[in-house]
Amino acid sequence: MNELHKLVEEALPELDMMIGWAESSDPLRTTPVFINDVESISRLIWSPFCAQNLTGYLVKPPAPQPADKDKKIGICVKGCDSRSLVALIQEKFVARERLHIFGIACRGTVDWRRIMLQVPRSNVKSARVEDNFLLLEDTDGTHKLKLEDVLARKCLRCRYPNPVICDTMIGEPAVLRISPEDAYRDVEAVDQKSLEERLAFWQSDLDRCMRCYACRNACPLCVCQDQCIAETREPRWLTQRTGIREKFLFHMIHAMHLAGRCTECGECERVCPMEIPVTLIKEKLNKIISDKLGYTAGLDPNAVPPMLTFDPGETGV
Amino acid sequence: MTDNKSLNNPYLPDLATVQEVIDETANIRTLRVTLDDKEKMAAFNFRPGQVGQISVFGTGESTFVINSPPTRRDYLQFSVMRVGEITQRIHQLNAGDRIGLRAPLGNGFQYEDMKGRDILFIGGGIGMAPLRTLLLHMIDNRADYGDITAIYGARSPKDLCYTYEFEEWKTGGVNLVLTVDSEFPGWKERVGFVPTILSQEAPSPLNRIAIVCGPPIMIKFVLFGLKELGFEDRQIITTLEKRMKCGIGICGRCNVGSKYVCVDGPVFNYEQIKGMCQEL
Amino acid sequence: MAGKIFIALDRLRSTLDKLCSKIDLLAPASSQGNKTGPTAFMPYRSGVVPVLDRQTTLPLKKILLPQAETLLRYEYCKDPQDPLKAALSLDDRSEVRPTLVFGARPCDLKALSTFDRVFTSGPYKDPYYIERRKNTLFATLVCREADGACFCSSVGSGPADMEGSDFRITGIEGGFVVENLTEKAPDLFDSLGEAPTQDQQSEAGRIIEDVSQYRIGTLDLRGNEEAFRKRFEDNEYWQKMAAQCLSCGICTFVCPTCYCFTITDESDNLRGERLRSWDSCMFYHYTLEASGHNPRPTKLNRYRNRVGHKFSYIPEKYDGLLGCSGCGRCIRNCPVSIDIRQAAGQLKENVCDRQ
Repeated sequence: MNELHKLVEEALPELDMMIGWAESSDPLRTTPVFINDVESISRLIWSPFCAQNLTGYLVKPPAPQPADKDKKIGICVKGCDSRSLVALIQEKFVARERLHIFGIACRGTVDWRRIMLQVPRSNVKSARVEDNFLLLEDTDGTHKLKLEDVLARKCLRCRYPNPVICDTMIGEPAVLRISPEDAYRDVEAVDQKSLEERLAFWQSDLDRCMRCYACRNACPLCVCQDQCIAETREPRWLTQRTGIREKFLFHMIHAMHLAGRCTECGECERVCPMEIPVTLIKEKLNKIISDKLGYTAGLDPNAVPPMLTFDPGETGV
Repeated sequence: MTDNKSLNNPYLPDLATVQEVIDETANIRTLRVTLDDKEKMAAFNFRPGQVGQISVFGTGESTFVINSPPTRRDYLQFSVMRVGEITQRIHQLNAGDRIGLRAPLGNGFQYEDMKGRDILFIGGGIGMAPLRTLLLHMIDNRADYGDITAIYGARSPKDLCYTYEFEEWKTGGVNLVLTVDSEFPGWKERVGFVPTILSQEAPSPLNRIAIVCGPPIMIKFVLFGLKELGFEDRQIITTLEKRMKCGIGICGRCNVGSKYVCVDGPVFNYEQIKGMCQEL
Repeated sequence: MAGKIFIALDRLRSTLDKLCSKIDLLAPASSQGNKTGPTAFMPYRSGVVPVLDRQTTLPLKKILLPQAETLLRYEYCKDPQDPLKAALSLDDRSEVRPTLVFGARPCDLKALSTFDRVFTSGPYKDPYYIERRKNTLFATLVCREADGACFCSSVGSGPADMEGSDFRITGIEGGFVVENLTEKAPDLFDSLGEAPTQDQQSEAGRIIEDVSQYRIGTLDLRGNEEAFRKRFEDNEYWQKMAAQCLSCGICTFVCPTCYCFTITDESDNLRGERLRSWDSCMFYHYTLEASGHNPRPTKLNRYRNRVGHKFSYIPEKYDGLLGCSGCGRCIRNCPVSIDIRQAAGQLKENVCDRQ
């Protein structure tokens, strides 16, 4: 933490604003924070509870505009978040030179809903991670949970725990939890099911969708925002009916617009109040893109995502 | 055809028929409408400034002021600017087409409080529609009011509505000041934005009520102008427009602060809304 | 009014099995059919596992205000003699069946007291809501499961508040005591179990008394109307409160008191229906006018409106009653951990509430 504060303080004179994480009223979760003065630097934290991907704030309205054009915006990114940043730079939504990227080596973020499954009815007073355990203090005393039982699904399949792009690196590089060829095992597990089972799986899960659009709004690459065709009445693609058809169509629109762009940061799945594994749909598309076109999103700022270009010499498809 | 309708359902429109369609401007049309239920039509009563929800089934409902006055009840008149999905559909209607109508809704103008006073109407573009109903109502009860001045502006002469009855307004005792934003060949009236014309006319605030309706930007500058002329907040009356759905004070959309435009409005005096100007 | 029974834990499901043959029954359950995953009030039938040990993920509002509900059906009938002419007919009939909600919580019912005012106190009354409300009974748990996000005592309610409930369910050692509180269906439970023993009755009484003393949430969020009006134009305050907001609809959709809805026509050619469905004041499109003008174009305006609606506009209209039940769902589910206790609690310069 001191390292983070020190490095941000050093960089602050050249920054117009710093986007990072701060404590929230819940010890299991953090909240994004936007600071521009030295006094507030102490609010910045880094911990396995810093689950939010902050890069969306760079492009979602009202996107921060530096008051001083010579100054940069500072932003904290984990490995997964840094890939979103690469994608945004590729698509020219943010300019690399306007950013000061504080990259954080990440050993995984926790999913508070998985914690609640292990300690239901817990009124958590404090929480911290030590080695491979999560230690919780609540009214019943201390609980010691295995980290792998409470990490977010995306962290259990993470291939890029270290930032792929940054100006200042914080922490020792993290090592992979899995071998990279296992990264799509969740998709493969669904693919193993019969067609009927798969249909039943998605029907049951997507039927819970309320169309609150949190998955879309939290996605740093869902850049259409207020113009999203899910809500426009002209043309009218979706009705206000609550049937599975509308929900399915929305999620397909969302996923197709992200094919080959999605960096699997998992925000859509993390924010879903109905616990629908929506990132899985994007993982499936990414696996296809990877198998057929050999492309992985969010690694090279100079690459062009395959769905954003046309190459007559394409051989994969 | 029998209808399966319950009594006292405020969401359920009355069926109505379009009697006549008048083209006002390139994008504004006026509909003259009667309720299919003859008894209901005969008994239909409303205040000037009250609104109706027009339904085109399959597209939806939208709110428009009844711009004919209660003193003339052969039909109910609505003027509709083509801007979105529903107004587009309304523009396709012809005489004889059936629509749904929920009316009257909203509060309307407190014209009783204006009796014996001088009146200043300030309208811009389609914003003249809600003023027309009160203007005609006052013409029909001309002796009740003092001086009646109306400043009415539009972008160009082609964008003025109700041109066919300007003579009637004038002979009815209205001092009508027309203006357009810039010079046009053949235009003999005033040239300039409404707030500018207002400051040129400089009507005295003494014993006068100002009634303002137009686009938000016009309202904003007219308010400055009126305050400069010395009008008190309570002497300034406006009628607001918001996106509405239920029209009956339930759905929670059209609020300006704690006031619902659909039931507490659309007519407000400036005193009632000035703390909430950020949300107009 | 004296009807009281004891339902042993191991007989809960068989009791509910019997109950659901007498009346449509809704109980908290997970759509996954087990005890994990998000929960909601679902139609109970034999085999459903009721989840009574925690607040449901979704509130019970959809029982009285479905996410999408048909207000009317319309049909154009072409005249075979003259295809240019079409008769138009409307149909607004709907059927509502008597329903019992088993396992509601005081915060769920607190929210209904707000709904009741909004939908039934005029100037126009909502016939769809009234019909459902009239036909729905509530058996409410004395709540001992408050967590850090709960603040029902801050809004004038509490974990043992039975206002609006028809039956009280008190969890005791080995089961539940269910007692009738109103005249609506006094003997509904009578044939379903034995009367509680003297010991069980006094244990339940003790628990009710204990829980009534709990204070869930330290602030009092009532009486903020004036403070909100003064804050209205303090953009810095609202910017600070809403900076993280993603403009998603979670807080409004999981909120038991958020009732704002839209009305749309969903058409299948010559016939169709007019639907009312949940909308969210957090959405840009909510107030967007056809002209392109939007009175609440930014998240600052929208968040301010949400806080204002709950803590100023509703209380102004309805004798101080808040548009918030203190259930904490918006806090628990916010992806960026916005805590409404902060925005509402600091209107009068108080600090954030953390129990």
